Amino acid sequence: MPENASIAPQPSQAALLELQRSGVVQVDPKLCLACRECEVACSLFHELECNPELSRIRIDSNDFAQGLPDIRVCKQCDWPACYYACLGKWGEPAILIDPRTGARYVDESLCRACGACARACPLTPERPVIFDKKVGKKRIRFKCDLCKDRPEGPLCVEVCPGKALTFIPAEERRK
Amino acid sequence: MTDMYGWTGRILRVDLSQGKVSTIDTAAYVPRFIGGLGVAAKIAWDELRPGVDALSPENMLFIVVGPLTGTLASGGGRVVVAGIAPQQRPSVFSRSGMGGHWGAELKYAGFDGIVVQGKAEKPVYLWVHDGEAEIRDAAELWGTGTYGTTSSLRATHGPKTRVISCGQAGERLSRIACVQTETGNAAGQGGFGAVMGSKNLKAIAVRGTLGVRVADPQRLLDLCLHASREGQSPPPPEETPRRRGWWNQEAGPNFRRRKCGFCITPCSDGLFMNVPGETVPGVHTAAWQCWGYSTSFRAHVEARAMTADFGLNGWEVSYGMIPWLQMCRQHGLIDKLDGLEIPITEKLIENLEDVAPVSGAFLNMLLHKIAFREGEIGDALADGSCYAAEKLFGGKGAPLLDHIYPRRFGQTNHWNAHWGTGGSPYFPFWLVPVLQWVVDSRDPASDSTHQFTEHVLRYLPEHGSERGPLTFEQARAVCEKVYGTPYACDPTPTYDHPEARALPAIFHHNRGMLVESLVLCDREQTRVFSMLTEDRKADTALMSRLFSAGTGYETSERELDLGGERVFNLLRAIDIRNHGRGREADWQVAQSLAYPAFTDGVVLDLEQFAPMLNKYYELRGWDPATGWPTRARLEALELSEVADGLEAVGKLGKG
Repeated sequence: MPENASIAPQPSQAALLELQRSGVVQVDPKLCLACRECEVACSLFHELECNPELSRIRIDSNDFAQGLPDIRVCKQCDWPACYYACLGKWGEPAILIDPRTGARYVDESLCRACGACARACPLTPERPVIFDKKVGKKRIRFKCDLCKDRPEGPLCVEVCPGKALTFIPAEERRK
Repeated sequence: MTDMYGWTGRILRVDLSQGKVSTIDTAAYVPRFIGGLGVAAKIAWDELRPGVDALSPENMLFIVVGPLTGTLASGGGRVVVAGIAPQQRPSVFSRSGMGGHWGAELKYAGFDGIVVQGKAEKPVYLWVHDGEAEIRDAAELWGTGTYGTTSSLRATHGPKTRVISCGQAGERLSRIACVQTETGNAAGQGGFGAVMGSKNLKAIAVRGTLGVRVADPQRLLDLCLHASREGQSPPPPEETPRRRGWWNQEAGPNFRRRKCGFCITPCSDGLFMNVPGETVPGVHTAAWQCWGYSTSFRAHVEARAMTADFGLNGWEVSYGMIPWLQMCRQHGLIDKLDGLEIPITEKLIENLEDVAPVSGAFLNMLLHKIAFREGEIGDALADGSCYAAEKLFGGKGAPLLDHIYPRRFGQTNHWNAHWGTGGSPYFPFWLVPVLQWVVDSRDPASDSTHQFTEHVLRYLPEHGSERGPLTFEQARAVCEKVYGTPYACDPTPTYDHPEARALPAIFHHNRGMLVESLVLCDREQTRVFSMLTEDRKADTALMSRLFSAGTGYETSERELDLGGERVFNLLRAIDIRNHGRGREADWQVAQSLAYPAFTDGVVLDLEQFAPMLNKYYELRGWDPATGWPTRARLEALELSEVADGLEAVGKLGKG
């Protein structure tokens, strides 16, 4: 059995319905200029340094190949496998739901660095959106939290010069 | 690692003759010299002696970034390249730069710059990653273009590796070889690709994961968000119907928009992916700007892809060399190249608009000849028109250079109304770029002219062929505040108020030095007018606040401007001590521009220009008799060692 499948318990239909829906950063690769301004803005806001390796949004682009840039950022799933994986493994989960935006976010003080969330994510391993960083001896997971503590909304959306990123609040997302 | 913010604290020093890599402490040079070009200039002042040939091992190649590189300040992906520039005739210490992602990657790899000296015995490349650097064998890369070199190094070091390299042109020491990154960014002017080639340095591959720490993250974020809104009005000029037509109709789905790394400013740039060329089935390039008239879209993109891959300065070829070759044909010096007729129009070429469009077949042939030094003509043209004119046609083509290249110096006129395309205001506004040309070691448009000229054209109510949105009252008030003279925006065609031309020339040159030292893009950061403020004045203190937030050195607008002036004076001092610059050479530039401007037909009146140049020198704190800086001004700029150095060779200005 694949590892992904073993971790997350199937939630009851009732639990699924109860889970607050989230907003999302919607991406349009056709408008992306591949400048990676979002990456540095994200890392500066969250990690207090300019470092694309610490960004929660990633732009992969190759000048020498045909095709649009690949923009990777958490899709804030209605049925968040990462959330259930963490909940299923630990009684006190580190992935929480932000009451304002609905963002599925990692509480770093609670993260046990087990990596279950990242393995459970359906985008892993081809297009990962849950990353890890070294904090002390542990490799803490981090992911897009829709800049939940920023009243103006996600910073990446605001800095994008190509307008390739749009914030869609939970109530405006399609079911 | 150090406790610094903004800077990483270390500069790589690579001695290719010894095969040794060491580091220089950035703290020895900053905050006094800011970073980037400022630090390069200081090291050059200390270490480069007079008489060094551009293509000798003794020349130093500076590839430098600044405290704001790799941050989200607009232009944070840029890198500055400096050294003795072989394209210049005679060769002098000069600068170039490019956007893209490479500059930021160098910061993330933990370095504020790379100083390359000496010459490797065999072709090598430099691999820089997370605080480490190695000189590696490049035998297999030698002979390949920049595209192949980049792809090959990405195969070796990973797809996120960023590469700068010289193409076949640089390997053959073409004086118009550029340093290329990606498919569309190059340090084009100066011929620094040949400096790489002369050192047997094929490429520098960089990969970093270290990040840049800034002193005040929240303040930097706020400033950049604020700046991003500034930059959007009026709309960027690039998106002309012709360009949009090319994107949509000719390239279709094989086109995507693309811009330099780490920049909020919404300027337009694009990538053509596997679009049909005129003589080849498919080409790939983001280098489609800065190119003159081709007969078709296909010819255009094919030529641009070739210049990027061969590592050739496309600006020089299309705005300088091709027009000059056409002039040579019009004057009976040559008809054909390799059996292909040099196209010409009936009218004798007076300005760029008289140049005949060039076919893909001709361009393909010409670019091959130059990049590979094929035949006598290709060998001569590989060094740019100004050097080629000495060798070809018994020197008879040399006088034809004069309306293209000021002082036959190796770089074409640009945004100064005396040759070229776009960015061309009427008299008296073109006196500002002319003053900048007179004292600079390169075409100053790249960092210092663009913003002045663009402001005049896009904002002033009267300046030439177009009309901007400001009223004269508003413009006068802004000019008074920013330049210290309300006359800077006065269109009255006169040489009165010489300070009205000298002050903006100085202001924008100093700001240009800041852009090259911080390192940022000139487009956003040197703004003077704005449509988004009540009084129409842009936030001219932006760079100083970015610098303060980035480095933690709280610096006022005035203090940072002094930093820009310091860097400019340092470059001037190198030019004076090492290359004999002074009023005489400055005046030759002025003389070479005394012909009718193409915008309005006005001829530079040298008699009236002389007092204006005196005024410029006086405002600079330079001796009007010699054009050399005075001790008083150098000491005010904390450059007493430079004053001592100039005095020791008898070249310190009096006063």
